[in-house]
Amino acid sequence: MSSLRNAIPRRAHKERAQPEARKKFGLLEKHKDYIVRAKAYHLKEATIAKLREKAAFRNPDEFYFKMINSRTVGGVHRPKPEANKHTEEELLLLKNKDTGYLFQSVQSEKKKIERLSSTLHELDNKRPNKHVYFAEDREEAKEIQSRIGQSSDMPSFDNIPSRIKKKTASSYRELEERKQRLHKLEKLYAEMALQKELKKPGRKRKLREDETVNQTSQPVYKWRAQRKR
Amino acid sequence: MRPPARGRGGRGGRFDGGGRGGGGRGFGGGRGGGRGGDRGGRGGRTPRGGRGGRGGRGGGMKGGSKVVVEPHKHAGVFIAKAKEDALCTKNMVPGESVYGEKRVSVQNEDGTKVEYRVWNPFRSKLAAAVLGGVDNIWIAPGTRVLYLGAASGTTVSHVSDIVGPNGLVYAVEFSHRSGRDLVNMAKKRTNVIPIIEDARHPARYRMLVGMVDVIFSDVAQPDQARILALNASYFLKNGGHFVISIKANCIDSTMPAEHVFAAEVEKLKADQFKPAEQVTLEPFERDHACVVGGYRMPKKQKTTS
Repeated sequence: MSSLRNAIPRRAHKERAQPEARKKFGLLEKHKDYIVRAKAYHLKEATIAKLREKAAFRNPDEFYFKMINSRTVGGVHRPKPEANKHTEEELLLLKNKDTGYLFQSVQSEKKKIERLSSTLHELDNKRPNKHVYFAEDREEAKEIQSRIGQSSDMPSFDNIPSRIKKKTASSYRELEERKQRLHKLEKLYAEMALQKELKKPGRKRKLREDETVNQTSQPVYKWRAQRKR
Repeated sequence: MRPPARGRGGRGGRFDGGGRGGGGRGFGGGRGGGRGGDRGGRGGRTPRGGRGGRGGRGGGMKGGSKVVVEPHKHAGVFIAKAKEDALCTKNMVPGESVYGEKRVSVQNEDGTKVEYRVWNPFRSKLAAAVLGGVDNIWIAPGTRVLYLGAASGTTVSHVSDIVGPNGLVYAVEFSHRSGRDLVNMAKKRTNVIPIIEDARHPARYRMLVGMVDVIFSDVAQPDQARILALNASYFLKNGGHFVISIKANCIDSTMPAEHVFAAEVEKLKADQFKPAEQVTLEPFERDHACVVGGYRMPKKQKTTS
């Protein structure tokens, strides 16, 4: 009998969706979604009840090491800070890795700048270079001078579509941003390299400003000469 | 998720999460995954649709090209404006880069495609001089050029683009190593004749080189003026022109660059050259200059006086 019932095509069952007016509440929750949510809720409830019970039955005279090793700051649990988690050598190694990574980023940034600047020639800008004309006599010099006044250096681009202009501008912007980033990275790298050098053995001291030979804004250190055997 | 663990009694109840995971993963988990996937799909479809729309707009602007190329004041040199803002030359061998430079393709109205190669002024002193605003490079379509100090042929390839199929470039390079790249480049360009010889001895390659209109010299040697004069005496026609790039450090690193350039210009004048102009290659190279001028120029008639 049931097989006969199956033979008749039935209308496809359509699942109810969240009405448009209630869209802001997200997808319409179905019973199986509710079950998941309710279970999670009850689990939390049970956990809290358990903790309450524990707190109620706590023995105030009992000692736990966590009492020493950690504390709460404004009700927030703070584990004891691990000051000497890494040894000195490990720390040095970690710092080396950091400098290595910085060096790599500097290199990759340089390469990207090179690639960009190879196609961005700043054609519209005035160049900082010098242009000298050689003339045999006064007459020729005058002629050259008048010629320079007339000629415009670059062909005029009047009819560039704005979308191309936008693209060019964005390329230049990217180049400028990368240059700034490189500058920052290089500075950071130099700082870290200096710290690494200062960690090395040997007596050294920071030179006063009037002692430095080449004036720089950077600090200058001097190591005491050590006899090498 | 179906709740199968419930049915298995107390144990299932205690290991609620684990029980569900273990018992139900085959069926319930699968269904849940399906639902989640659906939800994810809905989330993911929105940006995909957006991207599709953007793509459609991109296809819609096929009327306008993405690049504008205009001729430079020097014949054979062009300026491309696009993502790039660059000097370029028309590629003689479309589809090929010589030293990994960018190429720009432009479609004409009649459907033919023209390819341009970006000319990197950081690698080519001639390009740096052109960008420096030099008045004449004398290298133009159809000219014959003797190129001293061709190196790997990066600039030579652009010079070959400029002179075109009617011109000719004799590229002289002493080093075998970079000469190899030069020869490989010349294989694809019919107007380049590579010569692996010392530019100090033009007699050794005088059989290969005919009269030329322009000599370009980028040898970076202390006696480069003499080398240029020697080659000019062999190959440069009267009233021909020279372009020489001077690296101040290579000639005298103790003197200031300006003095070195002046001294070199004096040397050139002594060898029947008539320098016309000099540009420094400032943002691209430090302490470099490019001097352009003529050779054995005809005397001016003094008709006016």
